[in-house]
Amino acid sequence: MEVKRVFSLLGLYARMDLAWFLRDTKHCLICILGDLLSNIAAISGVFLLALRFQNFGGMNDSEVLFMLSYLMAMSGIQEIFLRNCNVSYISRRIGRGQLEHMLLLPLPLPLQLLTEGFIPFSGNGTLISGFILLRYSLLRLELQPHGWWWLSLTGSLVLSVVTVIGASYLFATSAFYAPVACEEISSRVFGVADALKIFPLSGMPLGLQITLCSVLPVGLLGWFPCLALLGKAPLGLPGWFPLAFAATLWLITLTLFKKGLRHYASIGINRYSAIGHRR
Amino acid sequence: MLKLYATASLKASEKLRGGIIYLLPDIALRVISLVTLLYLWRTLFASGAGQEIDLSLSQMMSYTLLSEILYDLLVIATPASQWLYEGLFLSLYQRPLGVLSQLLALTIGGWIPNLLLFSLPLALSAPLWPIRILPVSWLFLPSLLLCMMVGFAIDLLFACLIIRMQRISWVVTVIRGAVVAIFSGALIPFAALPYGIGNWLQFSPFGALAGAPLAIAIGSPIPWQLILSQLLWCVILWPLLYLFYNASREEMMSYGG
Repeated sequence: MEVKRVFSLLGLYARMDLAWFLRDTKHCLICILGDLLSNIAAISGVFLLALRFQNFGGMNDSEVLFMLSYLMAMSGIQEIFLRNCNVSYISRRIGRGQLEHMLLLPLPLPLQLLTEGFIPFSGNGTLISGFILLRYSLLRLELQPHGWWWLSLTGSLVLSVVTVIGASYLFATSAFYAPVACEEISSRVFGVADALKIFPLSGMPLGLQITLCSVLPVGLLGWFPCLALLGKAPLGLPGWFPLAFAATLWLITLTLFKKGLRHYASIGINRYSAIGHRR
Repeated sequence: MLKLYATASLKASEKLRGGIIYLLPDIALRVISLVTLLYLWRTLFASGAGQEIDLSLSQMMSYTLLSEILYDLLVIATPASQWLYEGLFLSLYQRPLGVLSQLLALTIGGWIPNLLLFSLPLALSAPLWPIRILPVSWLFLPSLLLCMMVGFAIDLLFACLIIRMQRISWVVTVIRGAVVAIFSGALIPFAALPYGIGNWLQFSPFGALAGAPLAIAIGSPIPWQLILSQLLWCVILWPLLYLFYNASREEMMSYGG
């Protein structure tokens, strides 16, 4: 895959997104506002609990706010790079038999998935507000971050996105075999991740913490990296554990995804009626 | 009635056709989600949260478990919004049944697989946790019924909004999901919210969804006020829905796909 080609395609999708913003500004702004409201609503419940109880299993309300703003920034990155065309929710495209549309194009599948979700203009609301909230939470924590720390933060955010997308693609492989039943499995993965990633796992039983940092890695999306960034990496694990986990997860996912793709190539998925509606 | 039953059966069997095994990941994710929430309350109470609110740990656990068992009934999601977005809504007009009746039958049919494969085993296993799931008051049942009626009305009102807003239906769906998740009380009991926010939310239309029946189930001191509030929202929302739907349906568009 040529790096130049990747940037060229990202530029193309950015131009298309800008065109939407310029030609239909009102609707585009409503969409940005909708995403923003949705993300604020998602984190507000736990923040209100943190405000009410002050101590959340050993984390104070400022630390909880830092974790929630980190998660918001993470969602922002995901929205900008992987939101469009159901790139994150890949089980929909598999289950609906839309993957063959992609296979018809003269572009490798990974290149399409890496670029076609890019919406830097209509999808930036959450990221910008996430970073504003992140800055505010750092002020509340009275932290004075240096250059290396910011680099670690950026790397952690990217790793968190890579992990949640890896989990989505891993579960989505089941849609190759049961397209109707598993069409929405990616959205269920995101639903569970969105529901659980906002909870600080500090103070919970060790078995549950380990489960949520391995089998269902929601703890690696916000809780673990945030504590690591605050110099309190939990579970006695090193700060680079999420990197090792993401690499392993993607190795398994790619193996199973390729297997599923071979099954799809031989069986196919016919979900559309003659008038273009899905069955 | 037989036609509605057949419609509900078709919907119920739709997800099972691929085999029950493919529903297991979904169920496993819900179980892990539930266990985490239950431990969250334990952690909070171990940190002294019990002194801050008027609920006991066992009430919080019952609230969460009941919410998970009855989630589909507490936060109603008909196929209307998604079908409008996907262009499938028109197919409801091609069948010899009322649109609303079909939506009700399809929604209830859609509950069946989860009720059988997730809610029922979970309810039967409740004594093993051990968490009480039997409601404290019989008023839970009328409250649940009213919650479902308000839920259908709110869901279909959002569907009408989607018809009106056409191109940005996705945003309406996203906002609705976020608003309902927080303001319905399905996840966090209103009594646990700070600054008395819950006192206001419990009488809002969203509070008439999960929050009211669950609060009554664990022994709310004001069950009749909650039921009256639900009744009031039913009386307001259903005529509003009737008017809004009649005014909106001519603007319905379908692209399909």
